[in-house]
Amino acid sequence: MGGWLRRLAAVLVVLACAGGVVAYQATRPPKAASDPRVFVPSPRFFLDASPAFRTAVADAYYLLMVQYYGEHVKTDMRFDSLPQMAELVTTLSPHFTRAYLFAAFALIDAGRPDVSYELLQRGWRANPGDWRFPAYAGFFVYRYGVGKEKDLVASRWYQRAAAVPGSPDYLPRLAARLAAKGGDREKAVVMWGQAYLAGDKYARRKAVEGLEQILPKEKQARMRALAPLVDTMPRAALESLLAELFRGYVD
Amino acid sequence: MSPVVCCAPPGDPARRRDGAGLSQVGAIAANTFRETIRDRVLMVIVVFALVMILGALWLGSISLGQEGRMMKDFGLLAVTGFGLIVTVFIAASLVRKEVEKRTVFVLFSKPVSRGAFIVGKFLGLSLTAAAVLAGMGLFLFALVWAIEGRPSGMVLAATALVYLQVETVMAVTILFSTVASAILSAVLGLCVFVAGQLSDNVLSLTRLGHNAVTEAASWVVFVVVPNLTAVDVKAAAVGEQAPDWGSVALWAAYLVAYIVVALALAVAVFRRREV
Repeated sequence: MGGWLRRLAAVLVVLACAGGVVAYQATRPPKAASDPRVFVPSPRFFLDASPAFRTAVADAYYLLMVQYYGEHVKTDMRFDSLPQMAELVTTLSPHFTRAYLFAAFALIDAGRPDVSYELLQRGWRANPGDWRFPAYAGFFVYRYGVGKEKDLVASRWYQRAAAVPGSPDYLPRLAARLAAKGGDREKAVVMWGQAYLAGDKYARRKAVEGLEQILPKEKQARMRALAPLVDTMPRAALESLLAELFRGYVD
Repeated sequence: MSPVVCCAPPGDPARRRDGAGLSQVGAIAANTFRETIRDRVLMVIVVFALVMILGALWLGSISLGQEGRMMKDFGLLAVTGFGLIVTVFIAASLVRKEVEKRTVFVLFSKPVSRGAFIVGKFLGLSLTAAAVLAGMGLFLFALVWAIEGRPSGMVLAATALVYLQVETVMAVTILFSTVASAILSAVLGLCVFVAGQLSDNVLSLTRLGHNAVTEAASWVVFVVVPNLTAVDVKAAAVGEQAPDWGSVALWAAYLVAYIVVALALAVAVFRRREV
C-alpha cells in the first residue's frame, strides 16, 4: 500500500512539474527586441582561423543576418550591425549572390543606401556574370542618389547590366530612358537603337516611342540626331527603325 | 612484477618465417571492421540522415531560397564532424582496448607481428570510416539533388577528401594510442585536426621574422602537423572557388605519405612497448 502511494505521489510530482513547464512556456511574455548592436567578428578572424569552413560560417551569419533583420524590422527598425554582418558574410563567401542582394535591400531599411551601393559594387566585381548587381546599383542610384548626374550614372549601370549575356531585354530601354532624362541625347539614341535590336515587338515599340520623345521634329535635325545608329545597328534593322520614325514625313 | 613481453622481437625468425604478412593484415582488418560495425557505428548514418532532413525543412523556412547551398555547407560540415568523432574515438581505444583486455596476448601467441597488428587495425577502421562516410556522402548527395533538382558531384568529391583528412587524423590517433591513454589520444587526435586547419597560419608565423626561436619552432610545427586544408574543397562545392585538381592530387599524395609515416612510427613505438 505504502509503495503504491509513493508511486502515485511521484507520478503527481512529475505531472505537476511538466504542467508547470508547459504553462510557463505558454504564458510567458513575448521576447523583447534584442540589442541592435551585436558583436560581429572581423572576416579576417574567420579567414585565418577556419579557412576550410569559411562558407559554412558565412551561411551561419547569413541566417543570423536574416533573423536580425526580421526581428528588428518588426520592432525598433534599428539595424546598427547590419553593415558589419553584410561585410562579414560577403567577404567570407564572395560568390554568395543572395547575401549581397538581401543585404543591399535590407540596408535601405537601415537608412544606409550608400553601404548598399558599395556592397553591390563589390558584388559586381566578384560576380561579373550576374546582371542583377549593376541593375540594382542603377536602380539604387536612380532612387536614392542625389545630384544632376544621377540619371546618367544610373543609365551607365543599366548599360553594364544590359551587356551581360542573358540579362533581360528591358535593361537597354531603361538605360536609354535614363540617359535621355539625364540630357545625353546621343547616348540615349544609341541605347534605344540597342533596345530596338532586342527583337520582340514590345521592345521595338518602346524603342520607337522613346526615340520619338527625344528626337527633334524637323526632318533634317532628326536625321542628324539618328546618325550614331549607322555605326551601331545592322543595316536591315536600321532601315526598319527609320521607316517607323519617318512614317509621317513626306518628301 | 614486471610486465611480460608477449611476443618475440621484430628480428626473430619466428616472426618472419611465414611470409603471410598480408593475409594476417587482411584477417585483422576484417575482424576490426566486423568488430566496429557491430558496435552500431552505422547508426551514425541514420542520425545524420535525420539531422539533415530536419535541417532541410528548417532551413527551407528561414534561408530565403538558399536551401541547396545551406544543405551542402552544413551537410559537409556534419559529414566532417560525425566522421571525425567516430573515427577518432574508435581509433583512440582500438589498440588500448586489446592491450587492456589482454586479447592481444591471444593474437601475439600466434605468429603475428606487431606491425601487421597496427596496420590491420588501421585498415579495418578505415573500412568502417569508408562505410560511414560513404553512407553520409551518398545521402547528402541525394538530398541536395532532390532540393536543387540537379546532382552535385562536388559533394561526393568533397566527401572523399574529408575521408582522406579523417584517415590522416586516424593514423595520428593510433600513433598516440600506442603511448597514451584512450581519452588523451582522442583529445590529441582532435587537436591535430584543429591544428591541421591552421597549418597556413603556422607557416605565416615562420615569416614574421621577430624571433629566430619562434620561427624555428613554427617551422617544426608546420612540418609536423598535417596540412589538412590543402585538400579541402568544401568551398568549391558551393561554387565559391574552382579547385585546382592538380594541386589537390599532390596534397592528397602528401597526406597518404603522412599516413604511412604515422603508421610506421606507431609500429616502431608499439614494437618497443611492453604489453
